[in-house]
Amino acid sequence: MEKVHDNRSFEELFQTYLPERIRNAVGNIEKPFIMDLEELRIRAGFPLMAVFSGYDCYIAPDGRLTDNPHHALKVSPEELNNLFYLLCEHSVYAYQEDIKRGFITLRGGHRAGICGTVVYQGDEVTGMRDISSVNIRLSRQIKGCAEGVIDSIIRSENDIFNTLILSPPRCGKTTLLRDIARLVSQGAGHFRGLRTVVIDERSEIAANYRGIPQNDLGPRTDVLNGCRKKDGIEIALRGMSPHVIIVDELGDRRDAEAIKMAWNAGVRIIATAHAFSLEDFKGRLGVGELASKSGFERIIVLGMLNGKRWIRVMDANGRELNFLNQDNRMPFDTHRLHLNRNETVSQADREAACAAKIY
Amino acid sequence: MRLSARLTERQRALQKFIEILVNLKGQMCGLGIPLVDAFENIGKENTSGVWSEIFMRCSGIMREEHVNAGKAWRKALENNRNLCLDELDYLQIRDFGERLGKSDRYNQEKVLELEKEKISIMERKAREDMETKGKLYRSLGILTGAEVVVLLI
Repeated sequence: MEKVHDNRSFEELFQTYLPERIRNAVGNIEKPFIMDLEELRIRAGFPLMAVFSGYDCYIAPDGRLTDNPHHALKVSPEELNNLFYLLCEHSVYAYQEDIKRGFITLRGGHRAGICGTVVYQGDEVTGMRDISSVNIRLSRQIKGCAEGVIDSIIRSENDIFNTLILSPPRCGKTTLLRDIARLVSQGAGHFRGLRTVVIDERSEIAANYRGIPQNDLGPRTDVLNGCRKKDGIEIALRGMSPHVIIVDELGDRRDAEAIKMAWNAGVRIIATAHAFSLEDFKGRLGVGELASKSGFERIIVLGMLNGKRWIRVMDANGRELNFLNQDNRMPFDTHRLHLNRNETVSQADREAACAAKIY
Repeated sequence: MRLSARLTERQRALQKFIEILVNLKGQMCGLGIPLVDAFENIGKENTSGVWSEIFMRCSGIMREEHVNAGKAWRKALENNRNLCLDELDYLQIRDFGERLGKSDRYNQEKVLELEKEKISIMERKAREDMETKGKLYRSLGILTGAEVVVLLI
């Protein structure tokens, strides 16, 4: 499997968006750890924090990782304000729709979640002021992570099954969906590849930056960015004549209606939803009925156990077709620290937190 | 004659700046293009005349130094003081970038309208100067020329 972003891409991100002190601290983190960096959590008046493979720790001004908040770089409100403007490229008006939704998509497909005081006009969120924290989530496309499941969702050399991916948050639904989109679009083995439209409501799948997808979704993929699923499906059916439509995070009753509309037009759907199991999803109002026998034909359930991700592929009756264990999700030592945090944390601090990581 | 031509150039430069503000409003408020790109687009346009270089430079400074439009504009203007503008004009447009990019589209529209109004007043003043002082400089030039001829004869 190929993690697509390298250190250079992260360095460019840090250079472009981070204020000086934060940039220096993050820039001094040892290079091997940067590869496992998932999030930078920056709060006004609080220590700078980073998340490595699910495990969080503070960052000292010289780039050392520590669990002691007193040793960490304390972010000033001015720095946070400056960071906000840098994230907006000093053009708040250009990102106002993103800000209303609480995040800004950055170059390279990374994303900055923002918190502050939400401004309402009537019932509608119109903006955010007094920004209090920013969470920069580093995006990594993992090419090849869907290779173990793609055969289960291929019906013939030019058709696929309607597929639903279920999992709790942070188990890799969107990462898997992204790679499935790439394989469905470019083809895999005897499967020829199909015209695909991705409805990327929250710019997570393609991560469009000024109209250019930052992730590889294959040569036959068109992206409707920032578009509601219902509207996106209608637009795609009307204008792009796709074989497959891909959507992320079903939840609304209107999503179910839009998906039925696509099925009526003979288009295949690949979708994801938050759920712990198929039964859990079936119990959902509105969208639950999509998992009935006349709905999705393949169900992929993801989960995490002891830091390892497992994938179960089922048919519409719940019969297991495939089961995979992926042990590359979290490095062993990071996982050990994560599990035994209370006991090992002070020792970990002495060992410079993740320094024991094995490569 | 040169003084008169300078007055004409000044009025033309301010008029061009008003046109650029209309263009900038369209790019920012209509299309939501970030400042760094909007400035570059204006700089690349043939119609931007004497302002082209300043907008290109401003975009370049924002891109390279990651500073806001206010700082970038001031720096770009300081390096390009060869426009036919008065010292007072320079003072008036020095802070042009200061409020750009810091609020939503509605607010930015108001900022640009206000800026346009300010430049329009300057342009009106420049036009008046061109009509009154320009005529005076031209007449003075002709008279001086005639006087020299008479003296030579």
